[in-house]
Amino acid sequence: MDYSFHLPNSGHNFDPKSSKLGMWLFLYTELLLFGGLFLVYMVYRELNSEAFLLASFKLNVWMGTFNTLLLITSSLTIAMSITALQKGNKKLSINLMWLTILAALGFLVVKYFEWGAKFEHGLFPGMDHYGSLPLGERLYFYLYFFMTGLHGLHVIIGAIFILFVIHGVKKGTVTPERFSLSENAGLYWHFVDLIWIYLFPLFYLIH
Amino acid sequence: MSDENTVHITSYKEHISTWAALMLLTFMTVAVSVFGAELRTLSVATAMIIATVKATAVGYYFMHIKYDPKLYKWMMGTVLALFVFFMIMLTIDYLTR
Repeated sequence: MDYSFHLPNSGHNFDPKSSKLGMWLFLYTELLLFGGLFLVYMVYRELNSEAFLLASFKLNVWMGTFNTLLLITSSLTIAMSITALQKGNKKLSINLMWLTILAALGFLVVKYFEWGAKFEHGLFPGMDHYGSLPLGERLYFYLYFFMTGLHGLHVIIGAIFILFVIHGVKKGTVTPERFSLSENAGLYWHFVDLIWIYLFPLFYLIH
Repeated sequence: MSDENTVHITSYKEHISTWAALMLLTFMTVAVSVFGAELRTLSVATAMIIATVKATAVGYYFMHIKYDPKLYKWMMGTVLALFVFFMIMLTIDYLTR
């Protein structure tokens, strides 16, 4: 391992507290990004509650439920992978991270089929069927695609983040003593889960 | 090693308990929604309350806030207060139009 690089002033290049604080500050901005969208949802749902109710019946509750269980379980595997790393069990840690990535891919596959079905029915903004819907239902699908799309993007980024951590553990830059990267990937992944915890009831279960 | 630098390692058991609670709450929300469809407004409020309980469990246990310095709780509280403030302002705006 090469620890020869030192910052000019402090002599430290390992500062887990600042790493974690930085990650949290970033997550707060993410929280407010989604928060703004939740507020848009709140207002439009109040103004078009009947239309939102009707439109929500067009989503598949069971696919949504399956994805929720998948994300919660992947939150467990990433949390356990951090514990495994801290206890020095690198192999278990790496395997649990692969499981998390597998769950992320599973989530995206289910989303692909869900979105695919909506495309087939022409429900994506700009398509024929979408255009013929009343305004309230159009708003619902617009928000549905935008919010789950943005969330899906976070799932992809989270999976790539975890890939970097796996690489780091294998290379020896992420170790039981220097686990900040793994911890931060975990925080990001839990955040992705956290957003879905609200998206799921708001879009699938509001009836 | 000073106390401040000791790393708290969450046990596998605690993680699994959190996960079990989250799974149970998910089944509850789905049950309330699918089988209690006639209780419309109740089910929206209930769903949001359950979601918040779940989010708190994720933050507190999985995201380690329980064992982190108080600073993290304060920051989280500040951001949530900001969000609630936005929500109240927006509601007042729409109610007074």
